[in-house]
Amino acid sequence: MRMIPALLCALLVPAPLHAATVDITVHNANGKPIAGAVIMIDTPRKSSAPIHFTWGTEIAQHNILFDPHVLIVPVGSTVTFPNRDKVRHHVYSFSKVISFNLKLYGREAVPSVLFDKTGIVALGCNIHDAMSGFIVVVDTPYAVQTDASGHVQILGVPAGDATIRLWHPSVRAPGNMLEQAITIAPTGFAMAYSVRGK
Amino acid sequence: MRLAALWKLATPPYTFSRLGTRLAILYAALFTLSLVGVAVVAQIMIWGHARESVRAELATSGAVYDRIWALRAKSLAGSAEILARDFGFRTAVASGDRPTIESAIANLRERADVSNAFVVDLTGNVLGNGPSDLRAAVAKVPSSLPDNRRDAVIQTGAGVYRLIVSPILAPTEIGWVVFAVPLDAREMRALERLSAIPLTATILHRDANRHWVSAGDSITPDPDLDDLVEQGKGTGDAAPATLRLPQGIAFALARRLEGRGSQPEAALLLSYAQNKALASYWSLELGIALAGLLGIVLVLIGSRRLANTIARPIAALDAAARALEEGARARVTVEGSDEIARLAESFNLMSAGIAERERRIIHLAFHDTLTGLPNRTFFRQQVEAALTRANKRGEKVSVLCLDLDNFKSINDTLGHAVGDALLRDVGNMLIQIASDGIVSRLGGDEFGVILADRADEDRPRALAQEILDRMRQPFRVDSHTVPLSLSIGIAIGPADGADADILLKNADLALDHAKQDGRGTFHFFEPALDAAARKRRQLELDLREALQTGQFRLNFQPIFDLKANRIDGFESLLRWEHPIRGDITPGEFIPVAEDLGLISGIGEWVLHEACRHAVSWPDHVHVAVNVSPLQFRSTGFANIIFQALSRSGLAPSRLEVEITESVFLEDETSVVTLLHQLRSMGVRIALDDFGTGYSSLSYLRSFPFDKIKIDKSFVNRIALDTSSAAIVHAIVDLATALHMETTAEGVEDRDQLACLRDQGCTSIQGFIFSAAVEGSQVLDLLGKRMTAAA
Repeated sequence: MRMIPALLCALLVPAPLHAATVDITVHNANGKPIAGAVIMIDTPRKSSAPIHFTWGTEIAQHNILFDPHVLIVPVGSTVTFPNRDKVRHHVYSFSKVISFNLKLYGREAVPSVLFDKTGIVALGCNIHDAMSGFIVVVDTPYAVQTDASGHVQILGVPAGDATIRLWHPSVRAPGNMLEQAITIAPTGFAMAYSVRGK
Repeated sequence: MRLAALWKLATPPYTFSRLGTRLAILYAALFTLSLVGVAVVAQIMIWGHARESVRAELATSGAVYDRIWALRAKSLAGSAEILARDFGFRTAVASGDRPTIESAIANLRERADVSNAFVVDLTGNVLGNGPSDLRAAVAKVPSSLPDNRRDAVIQTGAGVYRLIVSPILAPTEIGWVVFAVPLDAREMRALERLSAIPLTATILHRDANRHWVSAGDSITPDPDLDDLVEQGKGTGDAAPATLRLPQGIAFALARRLEGRGSQPEAALLLSYAQNKALASYWSLELGIALAGLLGIVLVLIGSRRLANTIARPIAALDAAARALEEGARARVTVEGSDEIARLAESFNLMSAGIAERERRIIHLAFHDTLTGLPNRTFFRQQVEAALTRANKRGEKVSVLCLDLDNFKSINDTLGHAVGDALLRDVGNMLIQIASDGIVSRLGGDEFGVILADRADEDRPRALAQEILDRMRQPFRVDSHTVPLSLSIGIAIGPADGADADILLKNADLALDHAKQDGRGTFHFFEPALDAAARKRRQLELDLREALQTGQFRLNFQPIFDLKANRIDGFESLLRWEHPIRGDITPGEFIPVAEDLGLISGIGEWVLHEACRHAVSWPDHVHVAVNVSPLQFRSTGFANIIFQALSRSGLAPSRLEVEITESVFLEDETSVVTLLHQLRSMGVRIALDDFGTGYSSLSYLRSFPFDKIKIDKSFVNRIALDTSSAAIVHAIVDLATALHMETTAEGVEDRDQLACLRDQGCTSIQGFIFSAAVEGSQVLDLLGKRMTAAA
């Protein structure tokens, strides 16, 4: 798989030392914005502070869907899988990161799983084949999903060399993941990615 | 078009002499032609229809195949999916549990009845047994298939396979279950069995040159096949084409089978062998052919019968016409009322007409039109038949020849109408009297009767007498009462002639004899008659020869003038010196010459000869020539005289023509006219033999003769018989009174001479003076006598 970097405009804005803003736009080959793509920026120096995301660590089953569809959690998080449907679910994952089986349960129980390795965890329901969800376990605070317009803005990213990763189920690459080494200027980093996927 | 050729076939050089055969062949040929036309049209329509229906069937089958193909894919995909969705299987795949996966695949192969099943993981590892080519291909297929495509037909070194790909979702794709169904002969046969029509399904793949061929190369590269496969590119709904395949000509439909990329690697060829496709029409064609054959046979039979009904009467007519040609009486049975019947009727009428005319011709040939009696030909035949009959039975046949006496004068005086009526009356009379015989008219006024009398020997004589008796009564015709007499000659065979001709001739001789006997009598044939007739016939022959070879000569008897005492003329006398018989007297041969018509020629010769001699004589000496009544009456007699005079140069006054009174017997007026004509030429006329025969003094009045010759019968007795002397005296006085000279003939002695001189006769002739001398002696005689007289 190839990644076509399309450098649109590098707006070099003087920024505070150590922190820059990264703007990423993702669309498909047809120029259609891709929402829900996960952008992760790995910096050489890991923050020692615990990582916390605003969206929590819960992925519920609601209306025969995983909600949210994609959940980004810091490594070491315990994710809860509350069932809000009237039917029961059998949530499983055969991912390399973790393999688990939450056998048929209803509302009465809220099973939880500890994710202590980074990676992509594909979730499925053995009862409902159509149900698909993903948990992205990261060890960086700079991880966020694109909005409806395929855009994401990450603030306060330390300038300097970094690795940017892009994940989306439709990306045709091993693990549905693209990876690129970048240098983030103090003024920020902007990039539009065109991905070819399913 | 071909009709001409057909007609040629039915006409020469293939000549069928029989009309019926020709008609039958023509009909059958025409029918066959139209039948062939119908068969060709039917064949074309059958073929057209067959092809259309086969194409339609094939197209339908193609659609069915598409459906079967899709169903099979779905069924296989379903099987694969069941496995792919199995939680335990997914667990095994996710955890990379090879033994479990392989056992699951083996289990699946059995359950879904597919020979090859594989699991391919995301990294391209292939689990499952199969040919290495296939495994290599299978490893790449799932990730290379376009979205939504779950199957593909690929070509590998191990053959063509149909791949069914089913993803293993957990819930994202973690691998694929792949079924590889070999599109081999077994699979094709299974496919074929699903068809309602006997299709042949064949998988095609591209060869090295990108031509479409089948596995095992049973179907070799063929541009038409390539076109057919390429046609199905866009719509996939190509029209069937006709191809030449190894098993023969076939209707074919191709289905491109989607492969890995945009170009198909294999195609499905559905072919329908033409001979199989059209097999169901063979019975129809056979039916048409059989019906056609049956039709031809029926038409042959029918047209033959029809032709025969037409030709039979014509053949009958033909046969009848041949019979008629050969003289047989032919009649055809008339059937119906069509043209041929009318022709037959006309033929019958014509045949009857011919027969009737033939009968009339035969009647005319054997019958006399005037009297209706059989003619001479018929008579002769009847004589012959009667003779033959008589010879066999030892009987006799009498032939009577009858001839009317003086019939010519009746014709001349009363006219031919009366003459004809008389002949008819005589004929009727003969039929009445000779009812036991056959009466015929032999010609002219001659009749014949055959009496085949068996018993009565006297019958011929009695019949002749009866006829003569009846003839005594005059016939009455048109208010004329005509007395007729008739002479009959009778000959009795076979004694008087064993042959019809001889018997008839002898009857004729007898008739002649009867005529000589004075007419109005009958005479039987006697052998002497025959001898006389033979002698006369010889005389006739000799006479002709005599005139040609100059056996005639003239002698001259001097006529002595008693007053002048000198010879004043010579009478020329004809002599015939026959080389064998010696001298023949004129009395013997002149009648024969008259009968033969030679008299004119002889008389002419005499005139010329007499004139030729006389011209050399002294001027006072004339020459006298006897002219027979027949010669005298012949046309152109005056001209002959003129020619004799002019050729010799003799003065007309020195020629004296001697005629007898008998010239006056017929048509006195014309005789007198001729005499005057001669007189005007200057020729002298003497009346010979006066006093004998029918002497009539009126002749002397009607013409002033120059001389009267007194017959020697009076002169002979003049000195002995006073009555003779008186007659001579009277004649001389009469002549003197009429200013005619007189010559006494046959003076033999001095007494006679003295008497004649006394009575005043002008001149004398006779032995007393001189017998007739030859021409060469005339001048000598003249000199001697003149001297003597002087």
